Amino acid sequence: MSDVLEVALRLLAVLAAFLVLPLLVGQAEHKAMAHMQGRLGPMYAGGFHGWAQLIADGVKFAQKEDIVPAGADRRVFQLAPAVALLPYLVVLIVLPVGPNGFVGQVVDAGLFFVLAVMGVGVLGSLMAGWASANKFSLLGGLRTAAQLMAYELPMLLAAASVAMAAGTLSLPLIVEEFEWWWLPWQAVGGLVFFTAGLAELQRPPFDMPVADSEIIFGAYTEYTGLRFALFLLAEYAGIVVLCLLTTVLFLGGWHGPWSDSLGWLWTLLKGTALAFVVIWLRTSYPRLREDQLQRFAWTVLIPLALAQIALTGVVRVVAQ
Amino acid sequence: MSDDAPRSEPSGTASGRRLPGRGLAKGLAVTLRTMTRRSVTDQYPDALPELPPRSRGVIGLFEENCTVCMLCARECPDWCIYIDSHKETVPATTPGGRERSRNVLDRFAIDFALCMYCGICIEVCPFDALFWSPEFEYAEEDILDLTHERDRLREWMWTVPVPPALDPAGEEPKEVAAARKAAERPDPPEQPGTEPGRPGGRGPRREGEA
Amino acid sequence: MILTAEANGFLSPNGVEIVFLLVGVVTLGAAVITVTTRQLVHAALWLVVALGGLAVEYLLLTAEFIAWVQVLIYVGSVVVLLLFGLMLTRAPIGRSPDADSENRWVALAVALAAAATLVTVVADAFRSTWIDLDRSVQGSPEVTGESLFRHWVLPFEALSVLLLAALVGAITLSRRRGADDAPASPKQER
Repeated sequence: MSDVLEVALRLLAVLAAFLVLPLLVGQAEHKAMAHMQGRLGPMYAGGFHGWAQLIADGVKFAQKEDIVPAGADRRVFQLAPAVALLPYLVVLIVLPVGPNGFVGQVVDAGLFFVLAVMGVGVLGSLMAGWASANKFSLLGGLRTAAQLMAYELPMLLAAASVAMAAGTLSLPLIVEEFEWWWLPWQAVGGLVFFTAGLAELQRPPFDMPVADSEIIFGAYTEYTGLRFALFLLAEYAGIVVLCLLTTVLFLGGWHGPWSDSLGWLWTLLKGTALAFVVIWLRTSYPRLREDQLQRFAWTVLIPLALAQIALTGVVRVVAQ
Repeated sequence: MSDDAPRSEPSGTASGRRLPGRGLAKGLAVTLRTMTRRSVTDQYPDALPELPPRSRGVIGLFEENCTVCMLCARECPDWCIYIDSHKETVPATTPGGRERSRNVLDRFAIDFALCMYCGICIEVCPFDALFWSPEFEYAEEDILDLTHERDRLREWMWTVPVPPALDPAGEEPKEVAAARKAAERPDPPEQPGTEPGRPGGRGPRREGEA
Repeated sequence: MILTAEANGFLSPNGVEIVFLLVGVVTLGAAVITVTTRQLVHAALWLVVALGGLAVEYLLLTAEFIAWVQVLIYVGSVVVLLLFGLMLTRAPIGRSPDADSENRWVALAVALAAAATLVTVVADAFRSTWIDLDRSVQGSPEVTGESLFRHWVLPFEALSVLLLAALVGAITLSRRRGADDAPASPKQER
């Protein structure tokens, strides 16, 4: 009985994190981006520096009318936000936060599980793009698909490099194997992984699929109200997942001083720093053009990832 | 992110590709530096903005100076100035003199729904009856209320700021120069008419403030 | 639901069997809809359901690694490629009347023959083999890797050479215009 209770509690905690962390990232983005642009950002909602802005946004979205275009494919259109959002929730379950089982659920081949499920999320964008019966949405869907196919490979290769280094596919075990000198050793892989992850999330500077100056909002153009909010939530949940995953794989997760008691804090701190980098990149760089996007993936990231794998293999063999 | 600079730039000059990723790092530095500085946002409804003295907010009328010459109404590009007047005869000041006729202002209104804030009326007014005021908070719920009548235009007059001082390195105003010339003439008769202190030749003369 | 059941084992093995059968029925149904629906994109999406069901079946057979690879490759990449192709060419919302090819009976015959062959072979090969769910996992990445790289290295390498050849072929075909310059080095082999 206590087993069931424990599982339920863990899942509840993961759900809470899933609902809170993306909002935190979103709020941080509001404020950090504003200050990077010399603005203040939201200042009113909630009183103190607009801390409740995203809650207010959520209330607003919930009140809005939920419109399905007449020409749209109703069921696919309505299903798409769930397909986009749920994979990130599932991924969050297996991400280890601290040592000694501080994780929703240990999955043996956790690394593969995470990458596989994250890839599914993009199907939501594709469904939305097709089902909206809107040419801009369709273009957005096409770009999403092209981008996913280009960036999935370097991401996988970089992750494979870590798996080779650790000799395991289980995320907690990868963190346990981590040594400080993995940082320089896996640096290139980490960069490739993080960049490709950004591209998969369609975050700037890789936001060609939702380029608002060209195709309005890509696949999400026709969405309103709560469904639109779910897509946005999926984006920020994606940031959370990507940052935590990069932390776990490349930055040593909970390793740090007093990691026995404060391990979870280290993971969250590193993840927060990465989330800040995500926001920072968005503010600093212009959008890559579609051909630049593709060329960057195929001619820069993939060779780099392959080189990282070769390096990992050589070091592994030599070190043993 | 530092290893993706030298791709896809067809005309990379020698200095441009000195260090790959330099531009990317610079971009990050700019945003980070901006973040550490105070933001430039004015919290408007809470804190009023500090407007420069020549802001074009609203037009004030100093009707004592108005002679109903109609120049402003005629020059206005979108015909937003309405002037009504009638003539009055003034009895002769000297016995046996001729009666004078004089224009009396009945209505002076500016429709700020039409006004495009070009300032031509103020420029053409030969008698300094119109002035810019930086006040801008006169939004209305009814567009008809944006037609400010004479009394309202007069109220704006009290908000007209003192004109900014002339640039110390600038040329002397013509009036002052003429007065000085007259004063420096050998054996001058006293010239009480000019005040050398206030170079108020072209700007508003601040009658309203007194 | 199935996932937690599998990982925590509070369902009896009998329960796992029931779930296995149910998922199998769902998978089969999705597959049938995939080939019979007149709406192209719906077919692709039902394919996702079918492939996902298959992954669940792998999971229930404790072949964890294969299951995630199934999701990663098929749901994550192949279906995306499929959808991409559909969107790029023609993907009307609603029925496509010309989606029906003339030889559906031939296709049915081929499908039935293939299914019969596979069922016979698999039933013959694993006639009385039972997977002991309580024992150590037999499809874990470790076990899979060991058997792949210890006992089946040669087929594995042969397969990779085959894929390499296919890759080179694809590149040569697509670069027919500039036939003189050498084909790009096929780096991404796996």
